Amino acid sequence: MKIILIILSLAIMAFAPFFGQIDISVQNLLDVSTTDYKIFFDLRVPRVLLAFFVGAILALSGLVFQTIFRNPMSTPFTLGVASGATLFTAIGIIIGLSAFISLFAFLGAVVTIIVLFMVSARFKTYETSSLLLVGIALSFFYSASLMIVFFLSDLQENYEIVRFTMGSLDVVGFNEVYLVTIAGIFLATLVKKQSYHIKLLLTSHEFAFLKGVNVKKTNYILLLSVSVAVGVSVSVTGPIGFVGLIIPHILKNIMRQSADKLIFPIFFYGGVFLVLCDVIARNLSTASDVPIGVITAFIGTPFFIYLIISRKSQS
Amino acid sequence: MLKIENYSSKILSDISLDIDNKNLIVLGANGAGKTTLAKVLSGVIVSDNIEFETPRTKYINYIPSFLEIFDDFLNVEEFLQLSHLYGKQTIDEVLHLLQIGHLKDKPCKNLSSGESQLLLIASSILHGAKYTILDEPTSNLDPKKVKMVYDILKDENLLQNRIIITHNLHLAYKLCYDVLYIEDGKISFLGTSEQFFSDENLNKVFDGSVKKIDENIVTAL
Repeated sequence: MKIILIILSLAIMAFAPFFGQIDISVQNLLDVSTTDYKIFFDLRVPRVLLAFFVGAILALSGLVFQTIFRNPMSTPFTLGVASGATLFTAIGIIIGLSAFISLFAFLGAVVTIIVLFMVSARFKTYETSSLLLVGIALSFFYSASLMIVFFLSDLQENYEIVRFTMGSLDVVGFNEVYLVTIAGIFLATLVKKQSYHIKLLLTSHEFAFLKGVNVKKTNYILLLSVSVAVGVSVSVTGPIGFVGLIIPHILKNIMRQSADKLIFPIFFYGGVFLVLCDVIARNLSTASDVPIGVITAFIGTPFFIYLIISRKSQS
Repeated sequence: MLKIENYSSKILSDISLDIDNKNLIVLGANGAGKTTLAKVLSGVIVSDNIEFETPRTKYINYIPSFLEIFDDFLNVEEFLQLSHLYGKQTIDEVLHLLQIGHLKDKPCKNLSSGESQLLLIASSILHGAKYTILDEPTSNLDPKKVKMVYDILKDENLLQNRIIITHNLHLAYKLCYDVLYIEDGKISFLGTSEQFFSDENLNKVFDGSVKKIDENIVTAL
């Protein structure tokens, strides 16, 4: 089972760059001067790599959020981080700083995570659903603010904002890919380094404290690294929801092991999942690519509802 | 030495306590503040009124009355590995001692309340702190298991200094530790087992609802 999954995933990764509106002939890849070569190496390969690392970051961030906030439904996205990034980006666009979009998205993500953490520090550990409610409230607040921004924007800016909110993996060349790759590897390394503490946090904060963990410090380290990684990835691709929700949940149920052992599997399969979603997005319509955020939301929403229902029936 | 001076909070008022290398039974009505006191003594509730020897983990451990686990698949063995800090016993020895060896690979979340209580006691032995506070360690156990836990608590080699919060007066009586009685957040009695379980004192504290009959403490119904 495990080996089949790995082989299948590697196959998806290897063949993903060949799928798209323009068919690539393998022969032409040997010739640097062909259009196929350019499409393959300047567009398709960077895109697959970007999809992989963004998916990996989002999935692992989901796991970290679920551990820290002790709720299987908390991800940077369900808690309003994506909306925060989107709002800040929209503000950046209307004040004429489109060139610094990434910085604004990043700021929006970080500000939201700081707000969430400050709020969650006031809750007792068992009040985890309160934080979800705060996340929902934040999302409403952000979308209302976004409406104001829309209202103030002209047609061109309006279009730019809408495109950003859809989420997109369009890249040319490797510059942004490098950035996201570094963020992904940074996050995976750091989370792996903290895996013993994460394992202790998976019991209870009290137990972790009594075994010598500085709970606050560990939470700060993890949340800070998630903010950086998610901030970077949102700034490049826009908000792509639900990966952080679906992947940790599915892998837990397939592998049936404590979450600290799932750090690399979640990272890897999160990446593969988004690559697969992107292949679907690029091939659904002949006219243009369906935005990736739409695909993940279409898969994710029913799954999210299923998750809520099955948890209800368990308790 | 476990020492706290003039500690007050919403629940506790003016608590001063000095426990030097001995065992203690903590009694008191529901809501009197026993668990809060345990959490203050173990540092879970942060307070300036208490100083810990370092490392704190080697010095004190608190075992709650319920096992709280967030992860669905963390199993018994993994939980005990996380608990194993200073205890001299191996995990298998302790599993055998508490007769829960068959649960080794079972996720902690799927344990019954009695099984999780035994797991918590196993955890306390493996932690091996100088002072261990056990919060109602027998509340979910069948009579046979209560006897087993009693024997464990009697054994000087398993846990160093034990502070036991309980409602089981008979267990408290048979353990013969010094008794601390908390009433409305205040220490209303601190003395030897003999003093506390004298007929006169029992009558005074429990208004006749508890009686000593042939060296057994029973609830008069």
